[in-house]
Amino acid sequence: MGGEPLYLEPRLGPRLRSLLESAELLHMLTDALGSPLNLVVPDQIAENLERFRSVYREHHLSGQIFYAHKANRSSALLRRLAATDAGVDVASLGELQHALGAGFTPDRITATGPKNPEFLWLAARTGVTVSVDSASELDQLAALVRAHKLSPVRVLLRLSGFETSGVKVLSRPSRFGTPVGELNLLLKAVERHAGAVDLAGVAYHLDTTSVAEKATALEGCLEALEVCRSRGLRPRAVDIGGGFGVNYLAHGEQWERYTTELTAAVLGRRPSLARGGHGYGLRAESGTVRGSLGLYPAHRPVAGARYLDELLSQPAASLGGRPLAALLLEHLHDLYTEPGRALLDQCGITVAKVLEVRSPDTGAELLVRLALKADDVALEEHGVLMDPVVIPGNGTGPRTKTGGEPVGVHLFGSLCLETDMITRRTVFLPRRPAPGDLMAFANTAGYAMDFHATRAQLQPVAHKAAVWQDGDTWRWCLDDQYWPITPPGEPH
Amino acid sequence: MRYDSITEAIGNTPLVRIDPDVHGLRNIDLYAKLELLNPFGSVKDRAAWNMARPHLTEAVEHGSQVVELSSGNTAKALAVIAGMHGLGFKSVTNRMRVPEIKDLLLLLGAQIEELPGQSECLDPTATDDPLTLFHRNLSASGSAYLHTDQYFNPRNTEAHLTGTGPEIVKDLDGRAPDWFVACVGTAGSSTGVARFLRETDPDVRVLGLVAAKSDFIPGIRTIDEVQEVGLFDPDTYDTMESVSADDAIEGMLALNRRCGILAGPTGGAAYFGAVRHLRQLDAESAERQVAVFIVCDRVESYLSYVRKRRPDLLGRPPRKNSPADLSDAEIRTAPAIGVGDAQAWIATDRPLLVDLRSPYAYAALHIDGSVNIVDELFAELVQGGLPFSRRQPVLLACPVGEQSARYAALLTRMGHPDVRSLAGGIIAWRDAGAPLVRD
Ligand SMILES: Cc1ncc(COP(=O)(O)O)c(C=O)c1O
Repeated sequence: MGGEPLYLEPRLGPRLRSLLESAELLHMLTDALGSPLNLVVPDQIAENLERFRSVYREHHLSGQIFYAHKANRSSALLRRLAATDAGVDVASLGELQHALGAGFTPDRITATGPKNPEFLWLAARTGVTVSVDSASELDQLAALVRAHKLSPVRVLLRLSGFETSGVKVLSRPSRFGTPVGELNLLLKAVERHAGAVDLAGVAYHLDTTSVAEKATALEGCLEALEVCRSRGLRPRAVDIGGGFGVNYLAHGEQWERYTTELTAAVLGRRPSLARGGHGYGLRAESGTVRGSLGLYPAHRPVAGARYLDELLSQPAASLGGRPLAALLLEHLHDLYTEPGRALLDQCGITVAKVLEVRSPDTGAELLVRLALKADDVALEEHGVLMDPVVIPGNGTGPRTKTGGEPVGVHLFGSLCLETDMITRRTVFLPRRPAPGDLMAFANTAGYAMDFHATRAQLQPVAHKAAVWQDGDTWRWCLDDQYWPITPPGEPH
Repeated sequence: MRYDSITEAIGNTPLVRIDPDVHGLRNIDLYAKLELLNPFGSVKDRAAWNMARPHLTEAVEHGSQVVELSSGNTAKALAVIAGMHGLGFKSVTNRMRVPEIKDLLLLLGAQIEELPGQSECLDPTATDDPLTLFHRNLSASGSAYLHTDQYFNPRNTEAHLTGTGPEIVKDLDGRAPDWFVACVGTAGSSTGVARFLRETDPDVRVLGLVAAKSDFIPGIRTIDEVQEVGLFDPDTYDTMESVSADDAIEGMLALNRRCGILAGPTGGAAYFGAVRHLRQLDAESAERQVAVFIVCDRVESYLSYVRKRRPDLLGRPPRKNSPADLSDAEIRTAPAIGVGDAQAWIATDRPLLVDLRSPYAYAALHIDGSVNIVDELFAELVQGGLPFSRRQPVLLACPVGEQSARYAALLTRMGHPDVRSLAGGIIAWRDAGAPLVRD
């Protein structure tokens, strides 16, 4: 197997831990609903929301937390959130309909992303806030409002291309938003369309893990709001998008060891850690590592609500060095956030049946075939490396490290394609799995569970069920059957 | 010592013995090679000068810009050298995490470009990392660049092979030390020195120090990051060990406070790593040995780095009349007034209305007639006593009424008879529909 097993154990909160210990339930559900199966935990999302709220409270900030719907299409999660004070950020006509149908009133919805006319019309018709990407989108929206005699629509201007003073931060070009340098043109359009649109604030969404880049953008938004105010407009909100991240792994040391070994493998100093010597973006060039690691930083001590806190605590250099949170507060602005992945932390798992365990005669890693397609659990697609939890077929709970020898395996799926690998890498398990076992992928609710799922080859798409704790037992229903009044104890 | 150019002052740095009372080693003489005394402040002066020098005439002819991927000391030296020759300098980096250094570089005329952070939504099929793009831009663009390429340029190593190494041997009366200890950044200094020392005495043992993987020590790489360095060859080092940021600061303090050597964190890391490694050998062997470590640069640029990790080291004596001394009860019972009553009070008694927010926020929107004294300034003001007459009623306002309550409590304690805090702050004022102006 080439040295010590390199585990990447998932981080499990109390709910997921308890769920994964409920072997009987998991077997029953996969027997009944098929493999793969997605399970979502609605109560967790409400708890995560509360964590974000507490960061708002600590900084005395008001404003809305909008769940980024695109991260998961579960109705249960959406409806559970509808029963809180959260908002939802929708990026398509379907998502908007879903949100309205789940009980979100228009004042709790923002529409973002590329918009087709139907999406824009329904947004304007129902009176949700629209995050406008460009002047032409603003024109289009205003024309719809006038043509259909609708009430003025609240808009956020989504900006991009923020620059620091002194130091230029190179940024990944974004297709979204209007460069902040063109703010004046955008504001002229807002003024031209007074009566059709109502400027609620400015927005950005940066695809980066860097706090510094986001702080620069937030600072730029504060300045943009000042420009608005100086023109007599009265916007109040700064929408800082999502991207607060998730910490997927239980142990930082495992992640550090793994990535060090990956570097060594790329340099040929240890056996490869993945099929075909795949280096996840790293490559060797005359004994030196080149490229950059195309992996999600799976162990992230500062993620989710704590990341938001860190961002808000950054000093704003061009505004006197006070922390961003203090400036937001002093300027009387509302803070909007759009966490997707981070709100879904610990909110779901994906379970699949082991169909076959094959020892290749080459003595290489075991080949484990699962009743699952790579698209159903797109952890690798998102660069997240994390071990599955094996739940034995005899119903005695997840196997522990004691008993049985560690093995290296390759997980592959049920599509008739060489590329249908669940993992390119060698996955180390505490002991050999057997057909009939279940493999559970933890923490897949954010983007990893149904984002890519298709009906290719007429294979079934995973069913989804909602689960909740009722005292010591887990209860379940189909995702679509879940309403916040479903769990016992809630008023009917 | 008389020179025609500051670059002649590069090199020939002192080798200073560390007092055994400080390091506690009985059988090992420990020496510090004081690279911090180079004219631009660090060990990198040698490499920067050696890499740039042969190309300067041509660069001046073409008006080239000097470019380097550097987060600190190399950039600093190159910025100065470029400036002395009328050339521009640009540093591209994703590691510049110490604000003072950034400011210093800007002051020296450098242009800085920071690489973007990692994408949250990865595209695992993307093959172009920002550095590859940078290199491609360098070779593609028509404009002239002098790219010193410190991570791959053999002239970086050479500067130490012909300079730092021989100087150490000369100062040890022609002998190589038994131990050589260096932090690994570009690997240039450790590789060059090690090579020269081994030519003098093949038995020299070399200890390479890297930053603990989850830690950040400016200028040093982690065990993975050194693999990206072209000059790095694992065979150079008999041992590689890692040092945490806390260890580095501990070592730095010992050098600063007890040895009078104003080293920065990498010098501290080298000292800490050297003593930690040698302590055991010292106990096991009675033979007299000599060890040398490198002090790369100076402490002054790292104050914010220290403030972030060890604020206790920068503690100041407690102040008089500080809001921090107030008890929760005092703050809770501080005189406060709601928005409606405040409006009436303003109309009848004309209290002095102090807005404690930042000038930017104040300029944007404020209560008509208020004066702006930022809380930090206000805190300094009250240190010297009450800043206004006891006969003048005062209304304090901040965003939500929290800070103003503190200061109302403080002023009350200091003897002001009629100071109040605007309950709920400017936010409550706005939410009540009371007027805010910008003038
Ligand atoms: C506009 C917008 N908001 C929010 C998000 C959610 O980001 P995350 O799931 O990382 O929080 C996205 C994701 O791409 C987005 O495009």
